[in-house]
Amino acid sequence: MLRFAIRRLAMLVPVFLAVSLVIFMIVHLVPGDPLEHLVQVGSSPEQRAQMIARYGLDQPLLLQYGRWLAKVAGGDLGDAIVMRQPVAQLIIENLPHSLALGGTALLFSTTVGIVTGVLAASFRDSLFDRAVMGFILLGSTLPSFWLALLMILVFAVQFEWFPVSGARSWDALVLPALTIGIGGTALIARVTRAAMVEIAGRDFVRVLQAKGLSFWRIQLRHVLQQALLPVMTILGLRIGWILGGAVTVEYVFARPGLGSLLITALGQRDYPLVQGCLLMLAIAVMLGTLLGDLAQVALDPRLRETMGAR
Amino acid sequence: MRTMLKGSMLALGFAALAATTAPAQEATFVMTARLVGAPTYNPIKATKLNTATTLIFDRLVVQDADQSFHGQLAHSWESSPDGLQWTFRLKPGVKFHNGEPFNARTVAWWVPQFKGSENAFTVEAIERVEVVDDLTVRFHMKHPDPNLLFNLASSFMCIPEPKAYEALGDKFGVTEAIGTGPYRMQQFTVGQQTVLVRNDDYAWAADLSKNQGPARFKKLTFREIAEESTAYLELKTGGADLLVNVPTDFLPRIQADKAVKLVTFPGNELVYMPINTSVEPFTDRKVREATAFAVNQKEILASLYGGNGAVADTFLISSLKEAQVEPKFRIAYDPERSKRLFDEAGWKPGPDGVRVKDGKRLAVKLWTQNGTEFKRLVEIVQAQLKAVGMQAEISIIDAGSINAQYRKKTEHQLAIRSYQWANADIVDWFFAAKRAGYPNVSMFNDPEAERLNDIAMNKSKTWDERVANFTRYHEYVLSQYPFAPIYQPVQSLAYGKRIVMPEKIRGMGLYSPTLLDIAPAN
Repeated sequence: MLRFAIRRLAMLVPVFLAVSLVIFMIVHLVPGDPLEHLVQVGSSPEQRAQMIARYGLDQPLLLQYGRWLAKVAGGDLGDAIVMRQPVAQLIIENLPHSLALGGTALLFSTTVGIVTGVLAASFRDSLFDRAVMGFILLGSTLPSFWLALLMILVFAVQFEWFPVSGARSWDALVLPALTIGIGGTALIARVTRAAMVEIAGRDFVRVLQAKGLSFWRIQLRHVLQQALLPVMTILGLRIGWILGGAVTVEYVFARPGLGSLLITALGQRDYPLVQGCLLMLAIAVMLGTLLGDLAQVALDPRLRETMGAR
Repeated sequence: MRTMLKGSMLALGFAALAATTAPAQEATFVMTARLVGAPTYNPIKATKLNTATTLIFDRLVVQDADQSFHGQLAHSWESSPDGLQWTFRLKPGVKFHNGEPFNARTVAWWVPQFKGSENAFTVEAIERVEVVDDLTVRFHMKHPDPNLLFNLASSFMCIPEPKAYEALGDKFGVTEAIGTGPYRMQQFTVGQQTVLVRNDDYAWAADLSKNQGPARFKKLTFREIAEESTAYLELKTGGADLLVNVPTDFLPRIQADKAVKLVTFPGNELVYMPINTSVEPFTDRKVREATAFAVNQKEILASLYGGNGAVADTFLISSLKEAQVEPKFRIAYDPERSKRLFDEAGWKPGPDGVRVKDGKRLAVKLWTQNGTEFKRLVEIVQAQLKAVGMQAEISIIDAGSINAQYRKKTEHQLAIRSYQWANADIVDWFFAAKRAGYPNVSMFNDPEAERLNDIAMNKSKTWDERVANFTRYHEYVLSQYPFAPIYQPVQSLAYGKRIVMPEKIRGMGLYSPTLLDIAPAN
């Protein structure tokens, strides 16, 4: 298992290099530059040129990439040009908010999604199954911007149960976490249900039934364990998403976080900050995938061979 | 015993009553849209500052909405007849939040700090600063700069405390911000909120404020909420007491809401349509003139902005003296004139209503940046241009990319954009040939305009002379139609029941002169 983990980790190095190059090039090739936010009315074109030189933006792109990568390798993500603060510090300040929001949303969607998926599969094709899955599908198709405003109008404005926005108290986390969580719930419930239905039709389940095990014991002890494998893959992929995928929700609820930081940085074309945020998200996705694979292997040792863990 | 109990209960009752009727000591203000995202309160190095800045720091002078200047840290000032010396007498007894005194030596330290910063142009004309005595300071100028007071009134000219500034380095304005203002910065989280606590020693407000002592509120929290709907709902539910800069789109909704009050006052923004003078068909002055007179400003004001604000008929906001041009230079909707000019330029109506010249249709590109207001506006302008026979194809471009597209110089023809500035030198910024592409989106390059620009920018010795020179330059630019003026938005703020606003908003917006007069409701 340890060798498997080390091998998978080593495989991430070339992926990381490729991702860093793509990120750097995309960020720099998009029209616009951070100086639009620094040049003041009254300053001369020469002053703009001086600023371009000061931030090294007049250098060839590959040279700029090489310098940036060398800094990153040394643990320095550089300074934000418009924000005027170290990129690492800005990320560290925002990361706990993203983790709290994303973690709560993931916990909610995983718990509710698995429970709902199991119940829907257990009462397959019943009115309950159709109603629950239909309701979940509806929730997942609502645009998060719209759903967020709806949540605010109902639970903050109408009932006054939660604050409208901000991140100043624990209860301010509830509505944004629910808004994100509902989308994830649908995905996890559908995957759980589909996997449960598929596994319930296998021969070993009939053997267990013939042995006289109860329906719920078979469902929860044997079928669910197998059904969790694809769920783990999805959860692994969503770890990266929960860090940076809450952009809309963070924006509507006026919450800090990596998503908001990235959007601000993109709007300002603050190259070092955009690169730093994207790199963090890419690393999170890579590590999430790795964790998902490790969890799958832990749940089903047969996978070690197919995944190359010999 | 019973009497004592009765007395105690009565006292408790009065205390409770007093507690419920006592004015609130704290208030929460919400900043939205453009005010969100200031990364620091370091006025010297910042390129973006927000409303709270002028509560933490003071400036030598402040400017009122009528463009007059008033002393804040300066008691009085005078300029030598040749414009090469400015002498400022400072108010006595002013102290920074950390107890350090503010005096002439502070000013002498402060001005050179701008060297090499993005705001260096504000003090570019100052050769050196002389400390005459403890409370008198003299600026020796490289050349006359009648615009000096305007520059000194900018938020970027707030004066920080020297020792803290040097000790904190890049952290000044982020972890701590020490000024002389009516509030001390207690906490600042970039993009989230700034908490200010009252400076109880404050006694040097500008005469724009009725309140010449400490601020009325003990504590102010400035929250940053980019999403306008959320900001409005915070105000509606009592989560915020004041919404700074209500977006124009929200004005009708807030006007209809009885729970909140709305104050509007003249703004310093102007919406206009630059015309690229370097590409066909706009190389022809008659076509530019015809296009400019096709824009119906009154219709836009009524239909898009519900009558809030004012039409624009020059390039400058109405409160500037340089905007008072001769009537013949004003650009106001005149469809008949527009059609006649197109005819004279050889563009005749085609079978489908679109004008044609030498077999070529009058079809142009009309750009704007993303954003609901710009999208709606560009569609109205498109319809208005169609009414005189011009077919405009709309392109909505990301706000972060559009300036880079303008810099390609020949890709665009017409555009809808806006600026915020309260000085006539904005004409230089947007029409000087050396800035062609962006900010000179009109690609305007005219020898006579350049000559008048040089006189206005570099040859004016006094403020009156500068006004006259810029008026001439402005009039000439208007006569060449490199743009069409459209609209002047109002500034507006909305507030709830817990605060009382002063009768009049003083200053160029919601800054310390007005904020000092905002009081808790009884």
